[in-house]
Amino acid sequence: MANRERFALHVNGQIHVVEAEPTRRLLDVLRADLGLTSVREGCGIGVCGACTVLMGGRPVSSCLLLVSQVHHQEIVTVEGLGGNGVLHPVQQAFIEHFAFQCAYCTPGFILSTVAMLEKEPDLDEQVLGEYLSGNLCRCGSYLHILKAVRTVARGRQHGFS
Amino acid sequence: MAIGRSVPVRDAEARVRGAVAYLADLRLPGMLTAKIVRSPFPHARIRHLDPRPALRIPGVVAILTAEDFNRPGAPRLFYGVDRKDQPVVARDRVRYVGEPVAAIAAETPEAAEEAAQAIEVEYEELPAVFDPLTAAKPEAPRVHEDCPGNVFLHTRLRHGDLEAGFAAADLIVEETYTTPPACHAALEPHGVIAQWADGRLTVWSATQAPFVVQETLAELFGLPREAVRVIVPPLGGGYGGKGYVRLEPLTAVLAWKVGGRPVRLILERSEEFVTLTRHAAWIRIRTGVRRDGTLTARQVEVYWGAGAYADITPRLLRSAGLVRVVGPYRIPAVHVDAYGVYTNLPPAGPFRGTMSFEGAWAYESHMDTIAHALGMDPLELRRRNLLRPGDRFCTGEVIEEAFFWECLEAAARHVGWDQPYEKGEGMRRRGRGLAVMMKSTLPRSRSECRLVLRADGVLELHTGTVEMGQGAHTALAQIAAAETEIPLERVQVIGPDTAQVPYDATTSASRATSMMGAAIREAAARLKEEMRRRAAPLLEVDPEELILQGAGVTLRGRPEVWIAWEEVLRRHGLEALEAHGVFETQGGLDPETGQGIASPHWHQGAGACEVEVDIETGKVRILRYCAAAYAGRVINPALATLQNEGNMVFGLGQALMEQIFFDQGQPLNANMSDYQIPSLRDLPEVLESVLLESPEGSIHGLGEMTLPPVAPAIANAIFDAVGVRIRDLPITPEKIWRALHGE
Amino acid sequence: MRPEVLHPSTLSDALAALAAYGEEARPLAGGTALVLLLHHRLIAPRVLICLEEVRELRGFQFAEEGIRIGAMVRLQELARFPQIRERLPALALACREVGNIRIRNQATLGGNLAEADYASDPPIALMALEAILEVHGPNGPREIPISEFFRGPYTTALEPGELITAVRTPFPPPGSRMTYLKFRTRSAEDRPCLGVAALVAFEDGICRELRIAVGAACETPQRRPEVERLAIGRPLTEVVIRAIAQGYADQIETLNDLRGSAAYRKRMIEVHVRRALEEVRDGHRSFSAGAGC
Repeated sequence: MANRERFALHVNGQIHVVEAEPTRRLLDVLRADLGLTSVREGCGIGVCGACTVLMGGRPVSSCLLLVSQVHHQEIVTVEGLGGNGVLHPVQQAFIEHFAFQCAYCTPGFILSTVAMLEKEPDLDEQVLGEYLSGNLCRCGSYLHILKAVRTVARGRQHGFS
Repeated sequence: MAIGRSVPVRDAEARVRGAVAYLADLRLPGMLTAKIVRSPFPHARIRHLDPRPALRIPGVVAILTAEDFNRPGAPRLFYGVDRKDQPVVARDRVRYVGEPVAAIAAETPEAAEEAAQAIEVEYEELPAVFDPLTAAKPEAPRVHEDCPGNVFLHTRLRHGDLEAGFAAADLIVEETYTTPPACHAALEPHGVIAQWADGRLTVWSATQAPFVVQETLAELFGLPREAVRVIVPPLGGGYGGKGYVRLEPLTAVLAWKVGGRPVRLILERSEEFVTLTRHAAWIRIRTGVRRDGTLTARQVEVYWGAGAYADITPRLLRSAGLVRVVGPYRIPAVHVDAYGVYTNLPPAGPFRGTMSFEGAWAYESHMDTIAHALGMDPLELRRRNLLRPGDRFCTGEVIEEAFFWECLEAAARHVGWDQPYEKGEGMRRRGRGLAVMMKSTLPRSRSECRLVLRADGVLELHTGTVEMGQGAHTALAQIAAAETEIPLERVQVIGPDTAQVPYDATTSASRATSMMGAAIREAAARLKEEMRRRAAPLLEVDPEELILQGAGVTLRGRPEVWIAWEEVLRRHGLEALEAHGVFETQGGLDPETGQGIASPHWHQGAGACEVEVDIETGKVRILRYCAAAYAGRVINPALATLQNEGNMVFGLGQALMEQIFFDQGQPLNANMSDYQIPSLRDLPEVLESVLLESPEGSIHGLGEMTLPPVAPAIANAIFDAVGVRIRDLPITPEKIWRALHGE
Repeated sequence: MRPEVLHPSTLSDALAALAAYGEEARPLAGGTALVLLLHHRLIAPRVLICLEEVRELRGFQFAEEGIRIGAMVRLQELARFPQIRERLPALALACREVGNIRIRNQATLGGNLAEADYASDPPIALMALEAILEVHGPNGPREIPISEFFRGPYTTALEPGELITAVRTPFPPPGSRMTYLKFRTRSAEDRPCLGVAALVAFEDGICRELRIAVGAACETPQRRPEVERLAIGRPLTEVVIRAIAQGYADQIETLNDLRGSAAYRKRMIEVHVRRALEEVRDGHRSFSAGAGC
């Protein structure tokens, strides 16, 4: 009874062909079909940010997207950052600054930060709030997250890409 | 030294890679999806329940209803950590909106969902009651037939001569404070996987209390404890919401009905709001005080709305529900009456800062009312009355480690309490406030651990402590490393898994680092002793002459004589050396008088803040907040600071925005858009964390102590700014605006 | 049966699909609202018509008299687009206040209007800007002034088979200033308890035009031209401002929800209409204001 279709998804630099109902949520496809469990369900309504992914470099909530809406788009999850066992500078900064407790929210925060650093040449508190205040951390690690983000942002000014 | 260092948490890299496997990430072959069918009514008789239409849906494997408990060999229907009043699924009556009436196991989430819609249930509505004060009236509808008046427990604390105390007062102040139900809102929802094999049950659960779950399930199925295994993955936040027993009985019984395949239940966000809440509390507090600020008597009456089932409330009422509502003060006469009340709302239970939050909201707001009535500086009033080392608390116990004043003074200093400031004249007015609290941890509880020194040089720490983001596994590994002098990177933490690790009561009440830490110290002492005993004959010396050093044993004063422990083990033909550690606290209060030992040590925290109130809208901005805690001996300063900041942020939500709204028992805001928690932009402009350390002090858990002061400190600052006293949480702009404008 | 998703690439194909499936079809724009309704089985359409690839619904067009915004333009683009920030700052401000960055990256202007959620910011700004909705349907194109578009919460003037294709927003008269104020009562991520958009045009210190729209406190965004007229031909003095604020509070029927009671909202309308007018009078905080703003 399911009307399944094939979708070629561009995720973390690879093409994955999945068979799914076109109205399956991107969140479910990434977690269940592709095993990308860094993408987590929190609120299920786009408020908490635990299921954040980057689509064309922009943060979106994978719980609010249907697989059929994204099949021509480039998707990035935390699994796709860094490479060859090397952490992305944002990940490194999150460790150095103790920017998490339970870490359920951490991949979402990291992706929002990565998007911000790539899209915004001028970072001020306004832009920081615009990108990050939509990711919720119930453990309340916000001050440490801000420290980590500001450190990487400063590093970017000094030349890492 | 491994203690006192900010080492990153053990699995930091996995955490930033998103590679930590929470419960929802576990996959077992043949795993089925569970779905709960819930009551739409707050109180109703189930007239008819027919699962058959749902059974016909393809992919549905089993449906659990109360009928199944009548089968021969069936588990018990009722469970509960104190009184067994809660059915796994409702039998003939439902008592809150969201109570499980049936559960489905299906091949896919879609089939489970469809089946849930197809089950036919007919209800006959009954009169219901929602707030604890109304419920406690004799004529109120009965939530449980056998409990007229709905008060299932009344506990008392009696200390000193109350009448004489009030007679000695120049002023008596009486006020009433309330707190509403709230939601823990961990980003990770509750989840359980259960599987039966050969009459044995294995449960994977996001729980803070694996051994309580094990005991409850063993009892439910009439099995020996060993036949039930509970494994706990890292938690995506707990805050008390995953304490004790939650969905494990339902999932385990559903799996029992299924047979051998694993069954997985993960709650939807909306279900979180009807699974466990903070208590709805009504607190009347009355205090006698002399003109010079000396407190002479205090009487507290508190109604704890427990929801439809008693859950942990009776246990809490025998100690926490009494001593956490008094305050850290020397008062010659104290009476407390605490009532546990059933209502037709979801069950209430542990909640970060349990009962201290509600208590401090009342007594610390009340202290400011008293200070204002006396014309005294609120800090000075507290200074004159706070417990000092050697003082006796109202339970009769002597408080040795007492640093309430130091905490409060530090917080006050950080917001410039004694500096003048501009209160403002226009639309925005500024004010300052402070608050302090004392919180008991669990009396009469036990933690055990095992240390296993392997021939390859690794030290295994087997512990039932649950890692839920607080960094407990890291802190405990640091303690194990420090106590054994084994390098931290060689310490491996195993557990929690009831089949692999020894008993631990629970990871709650900020007890883990302190209690499990003490068990580790004991195990380490035994391990060292054992090592020396084994090494001595090899070196032909007395064991007393040997000390553990590096990865081996050396002779006191002669470092050149050294033997690697691998060598010790090899020469004895051992693969590993083991040592067991136990730490147990005694105590408990007399049920009639509340006298005795409430806590092995006391959590102490304070907060001070400066706020700005928009008098036209009632909106509050926190300009500056300082949270100060007595930390004793700090294991990992960075993790300790994180916990302390977390308290503040969590407390901010409780103070200003969090409340589950019920309309005739129906939750109105069971989602995270209508129920709001603090975001990054809600932080105070300046947020400071102070940890008062004492290298000789005891080890304290830090995940709660500065949370309870947040709400009263803010309310007191609002009072200072605009002269209105808010007594019902949360402190919304509208409440302030109404108080200001007399509406 | 789960719905099928169609991906028309032209407006005529999209409209044809809508016509063919009738009530069994739902257009899918960004999806931030629709996906939730689907997931929670609150709707069960047979087909979803995804508008992502429909060329005619994309992009901005600038003309002398105003901006034409394609229905599929994302709210984040509107919040950040330089010419919108310069010429229509109230719209940029309102779009910036919606949800969070992920929602703004996904939600579209057309979808936002068609949903007609009362607790939403952009419709309030567009009311003050006197936007015109371009709509296509089985009977061809038509235009709907925004003041006639909202019929109630989640109810609009769209007929079956009709799609919003673009929103035309005229530039305000030269010398105008505008702003958007969002008032929240809980967290910084909350939806509005109240939103106020205000626009004023002066000539030699005399108010030539004044527009105020209020929303989120009432079932649909509201304007009160008879109250606005109190300012015309006068300087915007404190007395005039207070009279207008009072008038708005008196004349708008407010609602109760978790973010505030009806009575409280009435008073908040008074406070925020006044604050918005003071702001546009004084000209501060009109962010990135270019010439004329």
